[in-house]
Parts: sequence; C-alpha cells; structure tokens
Amino acid sequence: MSLRAGLAGLLCLGVTLALGWAVLERPQPAENLPERVAGAMPDSGVEHAVTAVLLNFRSYDTLLEIAVLLLAVVVALALREAQPDRPEPMGLENPLLRAVMAWLLPLILVVAGFLLWAGSYQPGGAFQAGSVLAAAGVLLRLAGVTTAWLDNAALMRTGLALGLLTFLGIGVVVMAPGVPFLAYPPEYAGTLILVIELTLTLSIGLTLISLFRLTPPYADDPDDARSDREARP
Amino acid sequence: MIGLWSVPLLFALPLALGILTLLATPAWRPRLSLAGLPLLLAASAAAFLDLALSGPGIYRLGDWPAPLGINLNVDGLSAGMVVMTAVVAALCAAYARSYLRDYPASASFFWPLFWFLWAGMNGIWLAEDIFNLYVGLEVMGLAAVGMVALRATPQALAAAMRYLLAALLGSLAYLLGVALLYGAYGTLSMAGLQHVAADNPTTQVALALIILGLLLKTALFPLHAWLPPAHGGALTPVSALLSALVVKGSFYILLRLWLVLGPEVTPAFTAQLLGVLGAGAVFYGGWMAWRQHLLKQLVAYSTVAQIGYLFLFFPLVTGTGAEAARLAWDGTMMMLVAHALAKAALFLSAGNLILAVGSSQIGHLVGISRFRPLSLFSFGLAGVSLMGLPPSGGFTGKWLLLHSAILSGQWWWLIVLFLGGLLSAAYIFKVFRMSFREGPQIDRSVPPPLTMDVAAMILAASAIVIGLTAHLPLHWLRAGALLGGG
Repeated sequence: MSLRAGLAGLLCLGVTLALGWAVLERPQPAENLPERVAGAMPDSGVEHAVTAVLLNFRSYDTLLEIAVLLLAVVVALALREAQPDRPEPMGLENPLLRAVMAWLLPLILVVAGFLLWAGSYQPGGAFQAGSVLAAAGVLLRLAGVTTAWLDNAALMRTGLALGLLTFLGIGVVVMAPGVPFLAYPPEYAGTLILVIELTLTLSIGLTLISLFRLTPPYADDPDDARSDREARP
Repeated sequence: MIGLWSVPLLFALPLALGILTLLATPAWRPRLSLAGLPLLLAASAAAFLDLALSGPGIYRLGDWPAPLGINLNVDGLSAGMVVMTAVVAALCAAYARSYLRDYPASASFFWPLFWFLWAGMNGIWLAEDIFNLYVGLEVMGLAAVGMVALRATPQALAAAMRYLLAALLGSLAYLLGVALLYGAYGTLSMAGLQHVAADNPTTQVALALIILGLLLKTALFPLHAWLPPAHGGALTPVSALLSALVVKGSFYILLRLWLVLGPEVTPAFTAQLLGVLGAGAVFYGGWMAWRQHLLKQLVAYSTVAQIGYLFLFFPLVTGTGAEAARLAWDGTMMMLVAHALAKAALFLSAGNLILAVGSSQIGHLVGISRFRPLSLFSFGLAGVSLMGLPPSGGFTGKWLLLHSAILSGQWWWLIVLFLGGLLSAAYIFKVFRMSFREGPQIDRSVPPPLTMDVAAMILAASAIVIGLTAHLPLHWLRAGALLGGG
C-alpha cells in the first residue's frame, strides 16, 4: 500500500512540475479573444461579457452543459427507482431551523432574483441564481417542511426539463428566417437571453434540489447497506 | 446546400427526444423513441447528402465567426461517423425495445439516456472546437455511465462507478490540456490552433495530458481495466452501443487532434509508442478474451483487442510517405466502421444466445447450433469480420493497414496484424466449438423475439457487405480529410 501511495505521490509531483513548466513557458497568445468579445458586445443583447459569452457567443456549449445537468438527474432518478422503497427521514428535529427558515426564505428568493437580473450587466446569472434557489430547497428539506409539489413526479420533471427545452426551442425557432441555430436577432437578443436565463434558473435550482433529495436514505449506515444488499434479488 | 438546416437537428432532435421520453410514462418511452428514429435517420441522411452534393462545409452556430463563436465541421469523416452512429444506434434501439420488456421499470430510463448519448456522440463527430469537444465528451460519458448502472445490481453499480471515475479522470486530463492550449494561443478552434500552434513546452505538456486522458477513455491497454466489467456487465443493447460507438468517441478526438498538432510537436517516438500500446492491446485483449468463461466478457475483451488495431494509425501516418499515410487512413477508417458494425452484431447475437440458453456461461451453449442457427450465424458472420477473413470489412481494413506497413517499411506491424487475427479466431472458435458439440436432443432453448435476431443479423451482414463495397464509404470518408488523397 505504501508503495502505491509513494508512486501516486511521485506521479502527482511529476504532473504538478510539468504543469508549472508549461504555464511558465507559455507563449503570448497571438489571438486576442477579449478584444473580439468587446467588439461584438453591441450585438450581444447584454452588457456583461461573461453572460454574452455563455448565452450568446458560445451558447451551444452552455446548451450542452445544461443537458449534462439534466442527464445527472436522469441517472439519479433511474438509480433511485431501482432502490427498494423505504420511509424517508423528514428532516432534523430542530424547531430553531424552522423559525430561522421563515426569516431566511424570502431573503434567499430576493437574492436569487437579484443575481439573475444582475447577470445582464455584472457578474451573476442563471447558474448562481439557480444555486441560491437550490440552497433554499435544501434548507426546507432539512427543516422537514413538506412540499407537495416537490413530490409530484410529473410536475418536477417538467420543471427539470424546462430550461433545456426552452433553450432548445428558442435555438430552433430563431432559425426560421434562414439563419443558423441559436442566432438570435440582435434586437430581441436581450429578451430571449432573459427568458432562457429565467427558465434555466428554475431548472438548475430544481436539478440541485433533486440530486439532494434523490440520495437514498441511510446509505451511510454500513449495517443498513448490508441488509439492503441482501434484500435485492 | 440542402443539408445545412439538418446539421443542428443532429443534436437538437435527440436532445428533444431525450426530454420527451423523460417526461413520458414508462410505457410511452419506447413508443416515442421508435417514432423518433426515422426522424433522426432522415436528418443523418440529409447531412450526408449535403456532403455528397456540395462538399465539406462549416456550420457557424449563432452566426458568430470561429474564435468568438463555435463552428461545426461537416466533412467526410464527421458525416461518416454520423451515419455509422445512426445505423448502429437505430438497430440497437429496435433490439432494446424487445429486450427491455423483461427488465424492471427502472430500465425504461434507458430511453432518455439513449437519446442523450446519441446527442453527445453527434456533438463530438461535428465539433471543431476543443472545448466543445470536452462538453460533448461529458454528455456522452455521463449517459454511458448511467446506462451501465441501469441494471442496478451491486456488480453493475460497481462497474459503473469504476467507469465513472476513469471517465472523469480522462476528461479532466483532457480539460487541463485544453486550458493550457487556450492560455497559450487564445483560440479553441482546431483550424485556428493548426495555424498558430508551435513546438514549445506548453503545447507538449498540453498534448501529453490530452493524449493520456483520451487513451484512458478509449481503454487502450494498459488503461483498459474499467472496460470489461462495464461493457460485459451492462444490459445487452447498452454493451453493444458502448463497445461499437462510445469508445470510438474519444479515439476520434485523438485522431483529429493528432492530425492538427501531433506530428509537429510530439517527439518522434510518440507515434511508435502508441502503436506499441496498440499491439499490446491486440495481444493481451485477444489472450484474455480466449480465457473468459462468460460469453459477454469474451466479447468485451475482444473490444480491448480490436481497439489496438486503431492505434496502428499513428505510426503509419507519422513521418511516412503520402501513399502509406493514405492507405493507413483508409485502413483505420475501415477498421473503425467494420468494428462498430461487427461488435454491435456480436454483442446483440451474444445476448440472443444468452437469452436462448438462459445462462451467460460459454459452457452452457452446448448443442445450441441445432436449435438456434440464426443467432449463431449472426455471431459467426460478425466473427468473420473481427478475425479479418475475406470478404469482410475487417479483412479490407487489415489489408490496407498491411499495405501501408509494407510501404513505409515498418514490417513489425505485420506480425501484430497476423497474430491478432489468429487470436481472434481462437476466441471466436471457442464459442463455436461449444455450440457445435452434441448436446441435449430436445430443444429447451427459449426463442428470442424475431426483431432481436433480425437486428443482429442486419448488423453482421453489413460488416461483411461493407468489405465488398469498401471503395464507396472510403471515398466519402476521405472527403475534406486533413491528409493525403483529398
């Protein structure tokens, strides 16, 4: 074991040194991409360069990344459904957490909304706003607040897929005048990006909440894991 | 330019079908999927027609020019891969529809994952941007891991976890390389990199990371350990998709990047080293396949071996003459396509045989030739191509590689081609010897649904036919290629 650890350590050291060498010796880029981004900003529909790159110039990458997120939930759903059903823990026995949640929840929602809106002119956007929303969902879960709509499978799945579906739909619809996929007309670009970001926020939030909720209960308990294995066919 | 509108459909349609099948009830998932197959087949055919009529082209997503936005690349190689994927995936889907009836409800998640997998693969074939390739790799890889886990047995989950860790390590190494290249050259477009990339430490470290990551994802010997449990243990249509198509995804990226950067910046021995690892894969994979007792494990180790042949490409195109390089390109393309068809056929017919005898042990196939000749015949036809016997695609591919090796004076690869063929014959005939042995006189075998036999048969027959008509696919695959023959 110590030999393996030593080899792994040597390998890590080697990779680190090689990376350091590569970074120190790197040539000056001939291509000035930030300049190009700045040049295209007036047509992007937003004022913040990062949002313009993520949702306009390289929106195809973002589209596929959203597909990766949805894919993660699909795999989690499939694995959860293959597990035997058992009662789920209904949160922590902590009245204080509930009381704090009543104060925090409106604030969290306002922050998420602000982050989403801020994305068009300063750092922020769908990913950040979605993560904040997800934090609210996780806290609600821990406080044991029952949320019927989160347990409605059809509604939940629609919400999960809404972001990707909207993104994809807009990408296809803008092709009507004979332009490529995802080429927004400049005069509507701002609105379209806002619509996409809005649905993405919701879907990203729900994705992260689902990944938290779909964890099989008691999986950390070794005794329980053993009985679980025996119960399976 | 009739096909240009069809290019975005190649990933938008499967993504849409993935969402639809996720939202549908389990009973509707296969129905929706079967309805979607013709649409995607038509889109793939349209993309190919566009290439045939108007030649290679570039599709600018969002109408932004390349270093700012993302381009898609429609040339012979990418269109060929799109068509190959369409044929294999459609037949696997038809097979899966019958096959999955015997599996629990959670297996109906096969369908959303199947569509996402297809979207990811088409994304990789068309990509012209090295970061976009990373995102495509993630879509394809995560869908593939999910499909391995679908069986939900402890073994399947362990295999999926191992696969996930290998795939993640591979993509992270790739991503590190991409970050270094972007930092050094300020562009992610392959065409742009080809112009500006120079021989310096940054490019070398970046390319080394990229190659290592992709080798791990392609399961090249000795980085193959994750493949047999994942491919051999999955549901049969999943095994077929993974072995026939998914391992080609990372190999394809390696091949593209090699042609863009490889020969200029890598030390001369790199290409030979890749070839030697390929030879190791051919021998070790063939030997291990022969030693297996479980039918699908044998087929999975055969994939480890067959991947090795693809890596003979690197020593045969690097620093050799134009004619040798062209032959190596043609041979590798032929091996790639023929292996996709033959391996899918081999897994599907192995699944039929396992279903028929109710056991995955090779020893339990005794006497099956009398009762299930069709399933066995598909297995045999696919085996002919893997062994490289004429007139199959596998034979044509090896023949071209052999010529290339002679022309470039690298006779040692002939030994690999020859002994590899013998080893393949050994493990294929191991299955045949068992099935032709006299067994029980009464037919106790369960007939698999006709669709499943037919799907395997079509794939196996295609692997043979493509060898007879090799000049046509090879002509198209060469269109717009970065080397030789043009």
